[in-house]
Amino acid sequence: MAMTDYELPCERDVEQVWERLDAVGAGPADEHELICPHCRAARESLLALREATSELVLEDEVPSPDLFGKIMSAVRAEVRRGSMVRLPTPEPGFVEISEQAVAAVLRYAADTVEGIRARRCRIRNDGAGVVEVELTLAVSFRNATGGEALSLVRERVTAAAAARVGLTLAKLDLLVDDIFGDTAGDTAGEPGE
Amino acid sequence: MSVEYVIADPVIAGVAARAAIAAPGVVRLEPGLRGLVTAWTRAARQRWKGLDPAPADGVRVRTVDGRLSVQVDLIASGADQAATVGRSVQRAVSRYVTSQTGLVVDEVSVSIMDIEAATR
Repeated sequence: MAMTDYELPCERDVEQVWERLDAVGAGPADEHELICPHCRAARESLLALREATSELVLEDEVPSPDLFGKIMSAVRAEVRRGSMVRLPTPEPGFVEISEQAVAAVLRYAADTVEGIRARRCRIRNDGAGVVEVELTLAVSFRNATGGEALSLVRERVTAAAAARVGLTLAKLDLLVDDIFGDTAGDTAGEPGE
Repeated sequence: MSVEYVIADPVIAGVAARAAIAAPGVVRLEPGLRGLVTAWTRAARQRWKGLDPAPADGVRVRTVDGRLSVQVDLIASGADQAATVGRSVQRAVSRYVTSQTGLVVDEVSVSIMDIEAATR
């Protein structure tokens, strides 16, 4: 799931950005690549990295096998740095967490409700600890009319925000924008980690 | 006679990194791009001198007007509450830097870049 791969908030992959780096530089960028701020941030980071490391490439030292993972993780962190949520702490200094990490936790909590699949999770954060969340869901046919599943989602998402992250949500909007049948729904209970 | 000790920032960063990585709920530190590049150049420079650098990736140390602040970027475990992990890193870093170097840390800031399923 999204917690372990190199997905950007726009759902493209850092690896994809890396592969298309020269193509985009040379001109034939697709529409998404031209307008997406996340892809652009990742692209700029990768270009900066490539430039900074070109000297190191010239050295005849063998790169460590986890180098690729380290670079991808670093690029992803760089993209995330732009959107952080403050968490309460009594200690001097601050504690913050990336919106993407919070979104992953909340989506995962919604997914645990039967017949519900979490899609997009938007987080609005005023920087002073007030956090509003908009969660887009797909529901199974069986839940199509049921507010019961949705109130369970609300309960679990709110609980996960408090227990797993340490955040109190000021607002939680649930947006049902799709419905899925149960034949295809068998893949709904994606194996959690 | 007065004796002055100067402890360089990379030393503080190395000590802070050790404390942070040992704190409960921390999967690993996240160096970020600047950190990766700095670590590589620092490693290369030290290798010419025949030294192995202590890992300080993911930790930045700043002294402004005599105030020492430490910033730690990390990946937290999904098994612990993120806010609790952050607080325990703040305390661990502050305490360990003081006990190892005698310096008082004015503030420790923690950025949790990602949450991963615990593997340790």
